[in-house]
Amino acid sequence: MGRFTKPGQYLLLLAYLIFLGFPLLWLISAAFKSSAELNSLRVNLIPTDWHLANFPEALAKQGLVRSGLNSTIVAVTTTILVIVVSIPAAYALARFKGKLRTLGVGWILTSQVFPVILIIIPLFIILKNLNLVDSLLGLILVYTTYTMPFALWMLQGYVAAIPKDLEEAGAMDGASRFKVLREIVFPLLMPGIVATAMFAFVSSWNEFFFALVLIQTPDNYTLPITLKMFVGGEGKVALGPLAAGAVMAAIPSLVFFGFMQRKLTGGLLAGAVKG
Amino acid sequence: MNKRTSQLLALVGVGALALTACTSTGGSTTPEASPGEAVSSAAPPAEKVDLTFQSLSDQPGAIAATEAVVKKWNAENPMVQVKIVPAGWDGVYDKLVTQFAGGAAPDIIHYEAASVIPFALDGYLADMTPYISEDMKSDVNQGIWDSVTVNDQIIAVPTELQSYMVFANTKMLKSAGITVPTGDTLKWDDFRAMAKQATTGGQFGLGWGLKSPTATFMSLGLGNGGVYFDGEGDTAKVVIGDGELKLPNEIMAMNTEDKSLEPSTLTQSGGDVLAGFYAGKYAMTVQGSYQAANIAKDAPEGFEWAVLPALEGTKSAAQSANPQTLSVNIDSKSVEQSAAFVNYFASAENLAALNTADALIPASKAARDLIAEQTGGKDGWTEILASGDHLEAAPFMKVPNYTQWKDTVATPAFQTFLAGQSDADGLSKALTDGWTQINR
Amino acid sequence: MTDTAVRPPVTTRKKTTTIARTERREAIALVIPATLPILIFSVFPLINGIVLAFTDATLRRNVESNFVAFDNFARLVGDTMFWESFRIGLVWSISVTVLQLVAGMGLALLLNADLRLKGFTRVLALVPWAMPPVVVAIMWKLIYRQTGPLNAIVSAFGGPTNTDWLANFDTALPAVIVVGVWVGMPQTTITLLAGLQQVPMELHEAAQVDGANAWNRFWKISIPSLRPIVAAITSLNFIWNFNSFGLVYVMTEGGPGGRTMLPMLFTYLEAFKSKHLGYAAAMGLVLVVFVLILMSFYLWSQFRKDKD
Repeated sequence: MGRFTKPGQYLLLLAYLIFLGFPLLWLISAAFKSSAELNSLRVNLIPTDWHLANFPEALAKQGLVRSGLNSTIVAVTTTILVIVVSIPAAYALARFKGKLRTLGVGWILTSQVFPVILIIIPLFIILKNLNLVDSLLGLILVYTTYTMPFALWMLQGYVAAIPKDLEEAGAMDGASRFKVLREIVFPLLMPGIVATAMFAFVSSWNEFFFALVLIQTPDNYTLPITLKMFVGGEGKVALGPLAAGAVMAAIPSLVFFGFMQRKLTGGLLAGAVKG
Repeated sequence: MNKRTSQLLALVGVGALALTACTSTGGSTTPEASPGEAVSSAAPPAEKVDLTFQSLSDQPGAIAATEAVVKKWNAENPMVQVKIVPAGWDGVYDKLVTQFAGGAAPDIIHYEAASVIPFALDGYLADMTPYISEDMKSDVNQGIWDSVTVNDQIIAVPTELQSYMVFANTKMLKSAGITVPTGDTLKWDDFRAMAKQATTGGQFGLGWGLKSPTATFMSLGLGNGGVYFDGEGDTAKVVIGDGELKLPNEIMAMNTEDKSLEPSTLTQSGGDVLAGFYAGKYAMTVQGSYQAANIAKDAPEGFEWAVLPALEGTKSAAQSANPQTLSVNIDSKSVEQSAAFVNYFASAENLAALNTADALIPASKAARDLIAEQTGGKDGWTEILASGDHLEAAPFMKVPNYTQWKDTVATPAFQTFLAGQSDADGLSKALTDGWTQINR
Repeated sequence: MTDTAVRPPVTTRKKTTTIARTERREAIALVIPATLPILIFSVFPLINGIVLAFTDATLRRNVESNFVAFDNFARLVGDTMFWESFRIGLVWSISVTVLQLVAGMGLALLLNADLRLKGFTRVLALVPWAMPPVVVAIMWKLIYRQTGPLNAIVSAFGGPTNTDWLANFDTALPAVIVVGVWVGMPQTTITLLAGLQQVPMELHEAAQVDGANAWNRFWKISIPSLRPIVAAITSLNFIWNFNSFGLVYVMTEGGPGGRTMLPMLFTYLEAFKSKHLGYAAAMGLVLVVFVLILMSFYLWSQFRKDKD
């Protein structure tokens, strides 16, 4: 943004990052504090003495590694399924107008508005009849279904943002529809696909309610369920181990984001497309 | 296309209706309990039975104690194998609602009386009356049994309890010239006078975390005869009189007249208030009895504290009992074997081990004696165990809409009152009007 | 269900019926893979839920439910507590959605600008995503509590030292709104950032040659190209926010004094705590219809601008 003063931009960015990052910083600090320090009146970011015992305690008590693995399986599979299924459907939703579109939009919005609590019991019964309660596969199918409306909705937004002339120009050059999609639409859509994939990943990685109700045995727990086990009756929270567990649980997602954000660049490709 | 879509929708609609019907009529076979035959060790079944036991134990000691009991049972009963399915306190209510409605609830259910009674009222829990051993029956106060009895059926076996106790910083009390009270009970007026006397130079006599005030008022209110509800079941009504308003009024008086109550603690949770207690901001705090274990662990070195005798209101030292419980799913494959396991689980030895780990009060006298012996009464155990004698059933637990009233009416109304934004009349009106609104 | 949804803009292009038919067949082929799980796991339970609104269904064991037509809705009209929560829900979702859009747009522009440590700052901007909601709620409770860091900061600047942000009648709703914005920031930012990346460079370059300044280019080029994406994300954000309750439930349980009782939280209590499934479903349906009408207006106006 050319003339906009650089120092001002850095300052603003710093303010954003403090707002967004501070809770994580506080979480990390809590992970290294002893129970006595966490329950004292002192407010300090740097723990007075570094209490490392929270980490082994978090790892030992609640099967954190196992549930981390489960969460990874569920989140990655869901992401792939959602993206593969949504891209063609989103294209259709954006480009073909008609009853189908109205129906699709109606379903997308309704399914996002209707309270989950009223859906959960019939859903539970359906999954029970399909023998999919307490299974990661069941969870994947449910997450895929409930992430799809969002994915479709966002992707159709990105498709709609691609000027139609580009496709028509391609078609005029005699390219087949498939070729037009692959060589013109798809590359332009890449940042949108990446953003949508990140969301699909995060929402299944973090989801709590479906997992709470559908998963029964600890072997199949996902991370949010395991972390919630640190919260006891009467609000007795094992804060130190919970913070330690949460910090460890955050690392895989941060690595994933670091990897994905590189793919969020579309500027390169835009140059290849002459309108 | 259009036609086909609407046909499809119609078809799905019919299916959905059928499904609704299924939900409401599912699981119609009711294994009837056979009274008389009864008692603790049921005859082994002809075929091997697998039972699931959803346990909420979260302290390492309690988890170990639970696992040990189950292991022993499984070894002694090869035909009835119990499997522990751990669950967390937070969220277990939602989980149970879905499990019951979906016909997939565990056989043996660990929970607490106030939360499990709604499931009993909805017909999901087996009557355990015929299965409970005579020893157990006589060893637990009638008041506690009443708290798990619904329509003359015992629907759960009580295991662990808590009471509200006054914790005191004895150094601060002494320096204010107060002798630490002893005896069976502590009269409320004496307690209030103590708090006033201990309020000196920036220090308060009392810190009381009343962020979620309803449970406290419902429980301690009993000592003033404050029962809040008249009647049981669907016909119950909220009645607010002097007994009910006594405790809220007293607390407000301590806050505004005596100025002996640190006002900011009123919006905090009990656990948060402890930080100020350790720091010497107030000499006393009212907490759940289990906090004794946390105080023993978290208090700074040299911190001198004691648990005071149970608080006595205008009528008695009664508090409402809301025990942790073990219940049996009425649709369980084997109600009889499940109940036998619950009986086994509730032996004095097992309950003592469990309650020591959780810092709670066992439901049975035998288990309380065992703990008193094992701990020598240290860390407040003497006073805490003694408070177990004052625990009674309270009417609110048998009222089907209590939880909703508590969340949407009572808690907001008490919070508004404690914030000084309404007076006793306003509180009483809010509580009764809210009840009418819910039951319209 | 669909009649309130968006009318597609009328295409002015002339089409022969054959093309239309081919297009339709293509469309169906493209959509089919998505429909099966949707029908089983979403449409079916959804319709079941809608049907419940016209019954007196409860969660009791072995109780037949009866068709009661519009009784639930008639009762709902006089339910002042529900409408109060509806009002709070509107304040909550509109403020969170608007703040998310403004703050997210600002951050997306910064992350899209040519600044140092781009990869690092982009990951940091996603921190709220890396914390499961279970932890988020507990974290913010720690920050907001009387002995928490926020009060330490406020008092360092001479403010009061012991505000209990989540329990104070005036600060509770703003406090949860801040958390709502915080939680939704990564979503909005990343979506807009991807949209900005998608704007063909040539347009900017051409405008720069024409002498347009940064502000002008933002309004004349970025915003119009982003419109479908902005429409998509704000509509979804609004729906999600209107729909959310888990976070607020853990932080305040709807308190103090009902100040943060969001409508979904209210519906949840009615369904799961009082077990009046039918009545709760009626609440849910009212919320759905309200949001759909609102969304239709919004999307319709957005698509119309699109046509201009």
